[in-house]
Amino acid sequence: MRKTSELIDTLVESATPVRRLAPPLWRTCIWLALAALILALLCVVHGVRPDLSMRLRQPVFVVSMFGALATAVLAALASFKLNLPESPRRWLLLPLPGFAVWVSTIGYGCLTDWVSMSPDGIRMGEAARCFATLLMTSVPLSVVMLIMLRYAAPLRPTMVSTVGGLAVAAMTSFALSLLHSLDATIMILIWNLGMAALIAGMASALGRPMLAWAAGRVMPLLPPQLSKPQ
Amino acid sequence: MPGRSKENPPCSETPRLTLVRTPASITGQGSRGQWSALMARAQDGDREAYRTLLTEVEPYVRSIAIKYLRSSSDLEDAVQDVLMTVHSIRQTYDPKRPFGPWLVAIAHRRIIDQLRRQTRRRSREIELSTEHETFAAPPAKLFGERSVEIALVGAIDKLPPDQRDAIRMMKLEEMSLKEASQASGRSISALKVATHRAIRNLRKLLKGELS
Repeated sequence: MRKTSELIDTLVESATPVRRLAPPLWRTCIWLALAALILALLCVVHGVRPDLSMRLRQPVFVVSMFGALATAVLAALASFKLNLPESPRRWLLLPLPGFAVWVSTIGYGCLTDWVSMSPDGIRMGEAARCFATLLMTSVPLSVVMLIMLRYAAPLRPTMVSTVGGLAVAAMTSFALSLLHSLDATIMILIWNLGMAALIAGMASALGRPMLAWAAGRVMPLLPPQLSKPQ
Repeated sequence: MPGRSKENPPCSETPRLTLVRTPASITGQGSRGQWSALMARAQDGDREAYRTLLTEVEPYVRSIAIKYLRSSSDLEDAVQDVLMTVHSIRQTYDPKRPFGPWLVAIAHRRIIDQLRRQTRRRSREIELSTEHETFAAPPAKLFGERSVEIALVGAIDKLPPDQRDAIRMMKLEEMSLKEASQASGRSISALKVATHRAIRNLRKLLKGELS
C-alpha cells in the first residue's frame, strides 16, 4: 500500500487550476435552455399537433402539460442540487408535487377516455414518428445531463441519475404531448408513464457506471497513476 | 496590543497575567475557515495551498474514519479514498459555502461505500481460519484417507471367499491374471468373473456404508 504522504505529493503535483461548478439553479437554466432549443427545433421541423389550440382549452390537458413540465424543471433542479456533496437528501422530494399532478391527470384521462379508444387509435406510422421524437428529445438531454452530473459518480450516483432520468422523461413526455396527438388511453400510458419509468429506470440501473464513464472520459479527474476501477 | 502596551509598560518586577489568543489553525473552529480559503486558492492552481490543505485535512478525515473502521489497512484505504475523491471533485466546492460540511459529506459517503464493498466481499469470501488450515494440511487429510482404507478392507472381508481372493490378488497384490491363475489354481476366465463381481459387490457395500 502506498503511503498517504506519497499520495498527497502525487495529488499536489497533478493539481491544475479548475473551474468552479456553476450554482445548481444556473445549471438547471442551461439544461432547460437546451431542452427549449430542442423543442423549438422539433416544432419547426415536425410542427405542433393539429388540435393543440383546441386541447389547450381543456383544463385536464393543460394541467397535465403543466405537471410534466413542472416535474422536468423540479427534477432537474433536484438532480443538480443532489450533485453537490453537502446537499441534504430531502432535495429528492422536490419533484414530487409536479409528479403527483402529472400522474393524477394521466390517471384521470385514462378513466374518462377509456371508452373513447377506437380500433384505429394506434396507428403504426404515427407511433414510429412519436418514437423518433422521443429519441430526438431524450437522447441529447440525457447525454448533456450525464456530462453535467458526472461529479456525482463517487458520491450518490443512483439517486442523482434517477432524478436526472425523471427530468428527461418528464421533458420528453411534455414534448410528445405538444407534438403528437396520440390520445388513446393505452398510448398515453405507454408514452407517458411507460417511457418515464423506462428512462428513469435505465438511469437508475446504469447511473453509477455511466456517470463514472462520463467523469473519466470528459475530464480525467485523477492522475493516471491513481486511476483505478471503483 | 501595541496601544495598550504603550499605556501600561510591562514591569519586570510584578508578575502579570496576559491573555494569549490561540491560533485559529489549532482550535479547529477557525481551521475550517482557513481550509475554505486554502481550497479556494487550490482551485486557482496554488499547489502550496493545496498541499497545506491536504496535510491538515488528513488527520481530520482519519478521525472520522476511525469511528467506522478498525483495521489499520482499511483505515488507510478509506483516508486515501477520501483524499482522492476530494481531489477529483474539488470543482464542486463553492468558497461561499462552508468547507466542513462539504468535506464531511464526502468522507461519510466514501467510508460508507467502503463498508458496503467490504460487506459484499465478505459475503462471497470466507477468510481461512486455523481450523481450515488444519484440515487442509496433509496429516489431517491422511486421517480421511485412512478411514476410507479401513472401510474398504472391512468391505473386502465381507465378500464371498472366491471374490475376496480374486480382488486381493488382482488389485491389492497387483498380480497378473496368469500369476493369479497359477497361485490359485483357477482359470483366467473364472478369475475375471470373480473380480468383476467383487468390484460390483464392493461398490454396493461401500455405498451402503457411506449412506
